[in-house]
Amino acid sequence: MTPSASPSGSLYFAIQRRRNRGLGGLYLVVAAFLVVYGVLFPGLLSVGGFSKFSQNWFPLALVTMAQALLMLNGGISLAIGPLVSLGGVVAAITMGGPAGAFGGLLAVVVAGLVIGALTGLIVAYMRLPAIIVTLAGSFIITGVALLLLPRPGGSIPDWLSQALAGQQPTAFALLVLVLCAWKLFLATPLGIGVYAVGDNPVGAFRSGVPVERVRVVSFAVSGLLAALAGLFVAAQTGSGDPVIGTSFTLNSIAGAVLGGVGFLGGKGTMRGAIAGSLLLSVMINVMFFLGFPPVAQYVAQGVIIVGAVAIPEFAGRWRKA
Amino acid sequence: MKAASISRGLLRNPPLITLALVALVWIVAGLSLRGFAAVGHLRYILELSAIIGIVAAGQTLVILVGGIDLSVGAVITVTAILLPLISPDWDPTGLLGVVLTLAIAAVIGLANAMGQVFLKVPAIIMTLAMATFLQGLLVLIAGGSAVSVTNEAVIWLGSARPFGVPAGIIVWIAVAAAVLTAIHRRPFGARLLALGANPLAARLSGVDVSRTTFAVYALAGLFSGLAGLLVLGMNRQGYVGIGDPYLMTSIAAVVLGGTSILGGRGSYAGTIPGAILLVTTTALITVVNASPGWRSIMFGSLILALLLISGREAQR
Repeated sequence: MTPSASPSGSLYFAIQRRRNRGLGGLYLVVAAFLVVYGVLFPGLLSVGGFSKFSQNWFPLALVTMAQALLMLNGGISLAIGPLVSLGGVVAAITMGGPAGAFGGLLAVVVAGLVIGALTGLIVAYMRLPAIIVTLAGSFIITGVALLLLPRPGGSIPDWLSQALAGQQPTAFALLVLVLCAWKLFLATPLGIGVYAVGDNPVGAFRSGVPVERVRVVSFAVSGLLAALAGLFVAAQTGSGDPVIGTSFTLNSIAGAVLGGVGFLGGKGTMRGAIAGSLLLSVMINVMFFLGFPPVAQYVAQGVIIVGAVAIPEFAGRWRKA
Repeated sequence: MKAASISRGLLRNPPLITLALVALVWIVAGLSLRGFAAVGHLRYILELSAIIGIVAAGQTLVILVGGIDLSVGAVITVTAILLPLISPDWDPTGLLGVVLTLAIAAVIGLANAMGQVFLKVPAIIMTLAMATFLQGLLVLIAGGSAVSVTNEAVIWLGSARPFGVPAGIIVWIAVAAAVLTAIHRRPFGARLLALGANPLAARLSGVDVSRTTFAVYALAGLFSGLAGLLVLGMNRQGYVGIGDPYLMTSIAAVVLGGTSILGGRGSYAGTIPGAILLVTTTALITVVNASPGWRSIMFGSLILALLLISGREAQR
């Protein structure tokens, strides 16, 4: 490298290359599945087909990001699904009222951030294990959603449903927007702290990273993402449902794991998690089009999750030998 | 002075705290609620606790070695649905079906361990994947409909009361005695705690990590299967999703009993009152006649509150 080369630029690309390392196989598998899907369902290439596909993918991508964000700094959340339900419920009961769509959006954002931050405060400052706190939290959040809306109901304004889940690829545009926001967040000191805290909490602490604050902010942002996914699901169905999000807890973990995010923190990348959620989404769609019964998707999901973790492990051992 | 040291000793002993909480809740509820302290009602609470207690026996072992088993709910569902299907008609006692089903449950546990030992998949991922896999496979094999049980042995297990004690509670006592002996009186227990506290040090000290992992997860599967048979015997019907409530409650019972979720520290002695406490509070919340929403909130707050009292992890 010549000294005249812009040092920050080369460093940037060096880091990007490092983040992409080990993900080549995943990208290939995702691409292969996308091709299969495109062949089975040529409509994917039309605007409407692409819109529908991205609408299926979008909430899964959001919850996977929410989960991966926590897993990257050594946490985990079992309350993702209940938060999705709560986000949808809050949207459905506020948007039809005097608050209007924007008041409702604000309510969803506040609910997600506050619940996430509260969880984070308990985990970070009381030093309780995230898995149990969020397990307890999942019951409390489900309860709140059931109190607000005991049975499916409420309404999302029709124009909003049309705008989010209509024939335009709005969902994809929103996802790009979210990814840009994530990039900006990563550029802040707190964002860098997310990776640092997961990789080596003690080292991060000694280098001046506010470890506790990073954990709280991660939980808050994660809550926000999950609640927004709930808003989107509510817009898709046109109403709120207090238990609609249940399956998202496991799927968010599955997406993150498929994307190579480890459970102990510091291992994995957000781009991997996004690719993982895309793989999961495409896989579900492909199996649907191949005429498998809906439950066969679970069988495949179980096998693929184990494979996603075991194969790189084997490849690593084989390379060493 | 002596009282102070005793109370400090109590606070350092999570199983005793949980037991004291159970006693407190029972006394308060017995004095304030008509019918709570009736023998029949308390016996029913213990009978329900037995199921959670047996599932949580396996979960305790797994958490002690630093793992977690997210497939216990799925194993319960598998046994509850498979038993009526594989019990042969020519066996009037139904014992053969019971043995076959328990063997299948143990094999599922072994498969969980194999994934971890041979494929190096972390416990949480392996058992999560196993749960997902079983959930799909079950619907593919059995269809979505409920199956009624005709197996004599299982019906006996769910309804018999030798000397007035429900069979489920007797099974629980046997399981508890075996697990407590294994943890505290056998080398197996020492290996378990060593492995959970520090896997590398345990391996270097000669603990056979693979064998211990196999044993622990096979036992977890076996105990879940046993609980599944009890659930089936009490319900008389197996259906998809019958085991789902037991996953989170089994973990909660272990944590309420003061066992560290990170492994290496704890005992089944705490899980037993933990299971009873969970069932008692659920019963109380039902008595108060709260809406499902409030019930869920109270349950979650209870776990959180007990965690704040007893479950603090070591400082970083």
